[in-house]
Amino acid sequence: MSGWWQSLLDWLRSLFFHKEMELSLIGLQNAGKTSLVNVLTTGQFHEDMIPTVGFNMRKVTRGGVVIKLWDLGGQTRFRSMWERYCRGVQAIVFVVDSADLDSLEAAKEELHALLAKPSLAGIPLLVLGNKNDLPEALSANELISRLDLRGVQDRETCVYSISCKRQSNIDVTLRWLQAHAK
Amino acid sequence: MAATAQNTLEPLRAGGDKAKDEDMEEELEYSPFYGIEKGAVLQEARVFNEPHVDPRKCQQVITKLLYLLTQGESFTKSEASDVFFSVTKLFQHKDVHLRRMVYLIIKEIIPSSDEVIIITSSLMKDMNSTNDLYRSNAIRVLCRIIDSQMLLQIERYLKQAVVDKSAVVAGAVLAGAIHLAGANAEVIKRWSNEVQEAINSRHPMVQFQAVALMHGLRANDRLAVSKLVTQLVRSNVRSPMAQCLLVRYVAQVIAESQPGVGNETRPFYDFLESCLRHKSEVVIFEAARAICNMRDVTTRELTPAVTVLQLFLSSSKPVLRFAAVRTLNKVAMSHPMAVTNCNIDMESLIADPNRSIATLAITTLLKTGNESSIDRLLKQIGGFMSEIADEFKVVVVEAIKALCLKFPQKYRGLMNFLSNVLREDGGFEYKKSIVDAILQLIREIPEAKEMGLAQLCEFIEDCEFNFLSVQILHLLGEEGPKTKDPARYIRYIYNRVILENATVRAAALSSLARFGAHCPDLRDRVLQLVRRALYDNDDEVRDRATLYLYQLQRAPQGPESVDPQWRIPAKGLEAALTAYLEQTDTEQPFDLASVPEVAAPSPAKAKAKPQGLAAAVAAGMSAAAAPVTQTDEYAEMLKAVPQLAALGPVFKTCAPVQLTEEETEYKVVCVRHVLEGHLVFQFNCTNTVKEQVLEDVSVTVDLADAEEFSEELVLPLEVMPQEGAGQTYVVLARPPGSMALGRFVNILRFRVKEIDPATGEAEEEGYEDEYQLEDTEVVAADYIKPSFTPNFRAAWDALPEESEMVDDYGIGQRDSLQDAVEAVGRILGMQSCEGTDAVPPNARSHTLLLSGTVVGDVQVLVRLAFGIDAQRNVAMKLAVRSESAEVSEAIHAIIQEA
Repeated sequence: MSGWWQSLLDWLRSLFFHKEMELSLIGLQNAGKTSLVNVLTTGQFHEDMIPTVGFNMRKVTRGGVVIKLWDLGGQTRFRSMWERYCRGVQAIVFVVDSADLDSLEAAKEELHALLAKPSLAGIPLLVLGNKNDLPEALSANELISRLDLRGVQDRETCVYSISCKRQSNIDVTLRWLQAHAK
Repeated sequence: MAATAQNTLEPLRAGGDKAKDEDMEEELEYSPFYGIEKGAVLQEARVFNEPHVDPRKCQQVITKLLYLLTQGESFTKSEASDVFFSVTKLFQHKDVHLRRMVYLIIKEIIPSSDEVIIITSSLMKDMNSTNDLYRSNAIRVLCRIIDSQMLLQIERYLKQAVVDKSAVVAGAVLAGAIHLAGANAEVIKRWSNEVQEAINSRHPMVQFQAVALMHGLRANDRLAVSKLVTQLVRSNVRSPMAQCLLVRYVAQVIAESQPGVGNETRPFYDFLESCLRHKSEVVIFEAARAICNMRDVTTRELTPAVTVLQLFLSSSKPVLRFAAVRTLNKVAMSHPMAVTNCNIDMESLIADPNRSIATLAITTLLKTGNESSIDRLLKQIGGFMSEIADEFKVVVVEAIKALCLKFPQKYRGLMNFLSNVLREDGGFEYKKSIVDAILQLIREIPEAKEMGLAQLCEFIEDCEFNFLSVQILHLLGEEGPKTKDPARYIRYIYNRVILENATVRAAALSSLARFGAHCPDLRDRVLQLVRRALYDNDDEVRDRATLYLYQLQRAPQGPESVDPQWRIPAKGLEAALTAYLEQTDTEQPFDLASVPEVAAPSPAKAKAKPQGLAAAVAAGMSAAAAPVTQTDEYAEMLKAVPQLAALGPVFKTCAPVQLTEEETEYKVVCVRHVLEGHLVFQFNCTNTVKEQVLEDVSVTVDLADAEEFSEELVLPLEVMPQEGAGQTYVVLARPPGSMALGRFVNILRFRVKEIDPATGEAEEEGYEDEYQLEDTEVVAADYIKPSFTPNFRAAWDALPEESEMVDDYGIGQRDSLQDAVEAVGRILGMQSCEGTDAVPPNARSHTLLLSGTVVGDVQVLVRLAFGIDAQRNVAMKLAVRSESAEVSEAIHAIIQEA
């Protein structure tokens, strides 16, 4: 009975007090974008994932915030289309594989090319260095310098080092997102 | 909505045209798509991007976009991708109706392949959802967008969906597979078992699609199609639509199979007949149509089908009536007798509210009608003509014309009918078809001439189309003077001179002048009338009047000069005039007489020698494409030479043969003319060397290899021209009517005079020289000319049976039957009848019907049965009938030698 009441109250509350946000999740292939979505929505992590062909759309409700997630494919052929799904979102989440040092240069170029688009000016950017459970993973500060994030002046930018596998720093990430909801 | 599709700018009117004016204002109803335009809709499409999607609004916008697309509006690449990407954002929404529209618009707008891939993942997710509507639609879209590589990845899902228990899903994947089978047949073929299972589905649509897919996969393999059809015929196909498809496939198998020999029944005919008793009308109709369209269908086979169609004729559904009457209309062309049973039902259809049905009924009746029913029919049609549109009227007029040619005795009633409809309102095309019909009847039926001319005279009294008036006036000028009482036409023609516009006045004047020229007793009166036109306010009319007055009164050639025997072919004149215009010096007036003289060999024939033809022949020589039979022009050329004209009419003129190599000093082209008792070689010669003059040119024909011929006459050419071609003739006599063959060695003989480069004059004395030409050969086909025989069977039966000669020949390996048919047709040079020169694809046997006339005007008919075996060896059975046994033998001889 109390559970029923509780859900009814939640529902009523969500009618009046809920916040919404829309964000797009980008990054090179195999950075862990779809894994992050899974962790955020279901809290589960799978080792073997298939590459995303196109995009996935998910909705998550966390702490009174409804988050719409555009999880976009990271392969080269999709990168030109990122911009279309980043327009008008509340935040762009850029996921990097912080242990894959070889692809960092490519990640940096893609990110800066995207941020240079006038249609995306001013949208807050959250960079997530994923896979920090691996030994060779870079720290947040190292990422900032490697990705040349100090050069990004026109928007609010934040960097976290996380691990979807260990689920570390996921709570920090969520809090950042909730803070940016409207 | 059909009306909106035609015109988006006009508001829809509800209640049809019958509504009164005051009602219209209130009943004015706007189409939801009234006045929409692309730019505005693209603006509206922004709602897709809003964070809170309004499903209703989005659906409306998508509907508008779809509407624009179906109206043929094109979207630029960037517009299409903008719409596409914003639509993809709607995948987030759970509203089923909106989702369905999303699938639709994606399928319609399909952007470039590198962009469309973005939705693959979303579609695959939908494909595995629990909602059948999502699944089926996602599958349909996926089938449209995936490439073969992606197909392999999802093949397993699709294959499973074929046997899905939901019909929508199974149908979707089967329909998709039909499209995919084009490029990825080998993948789809692996689904055979599943498709086979789907064929047994209880759902009509699934069964239909499965049958179509199964056939599509085997379409290229005749044996497999035949097997499939056999199997399906035995199993019980439940869905009427699948059954329809099956009937079509059966018809296809029948068309490709060997025609049954003798009384042997056709394979599958029983099946088609049983379909005539099916409970679904579609199937019945499809089967009846298949039977009617069978090749060489017999009356016995046709009867049940026609009976069924007859029932349809009195159906209450317009579609059935239309379908039935249309099929019967086609049958009536080949088997008019089989359709006569339906005539009573069809007559009642003349009053059908649907005008298409009525028109078809009329034309069918006109085709099947016998002499006795014509008058009754005409009466019925008369009432109906005013109600139908012009294009239908044209069809009816064509049918009447055909009928009149079929029953010439009935011309009076039919002609009256035509003149009645001619007086009614109608557009140009309609009037023109009537006038054409009357003109043809005048040509074909001599008795109808006077009556037809009288009708046309009345018509021009009140004709609003210049083109037709001028055409009729010209005809009156040609035919009028030859009739019994030419005077009666003068009034009609002169009325035109008074009442009409300048174009018609001028034509009427020409027509009048012809009466004056050809009827001496009318000449004074005509002169009087022409004089009145001297004060016309149009230049052309005045000029013509002056000219005709001069020609009728004072011209040295007498009044006949009004109607000159115009010997210069228009083509030749045109070429000469073009050449004249191209030269820079136009001070000199164009001299008609001088132009041909350059090319003409002897002054006596100078005027008749058309430079144009010569030029055409010369052009033909260099272009290797010999001019297509200009028989008429050649006949004119021969007639112009008195010695040749005396020989009688030309039976056949063969295609020109080049006797010299390209780029030699002399160009000689030989044209063989076959006459009743003679053979005329016409050599068109051109000199290509500027430094010499060739005189006294002739060709010596060696008759050593052709004993039956004897040389009768040689007409030399005085000077071989440098441009165009000069003619020298050799006339050979042969026994009249014989088909003598032979090979001739030709030597060109001439006198050469060198031109002195210093003075530019030719030397006095030349020297004799000769030049070896290639041989000419007279083949049997030269004596046969194609003739047109509309009803081969009747003509065949009319010829004596004892003249028939039959023999078998093997003609070796050929690529195809078509190849063999063409080769034999070329050898015999005869006209193929009833379209038998086209061999149906994949046919194993074929019958070719040929008809021709042999020299001496002997009719000959040939029936050739071809058969081809697996090694592509072609065998042929040749049956010939003609009016004389010798000719039949000669035809066999041609084939034996070839």
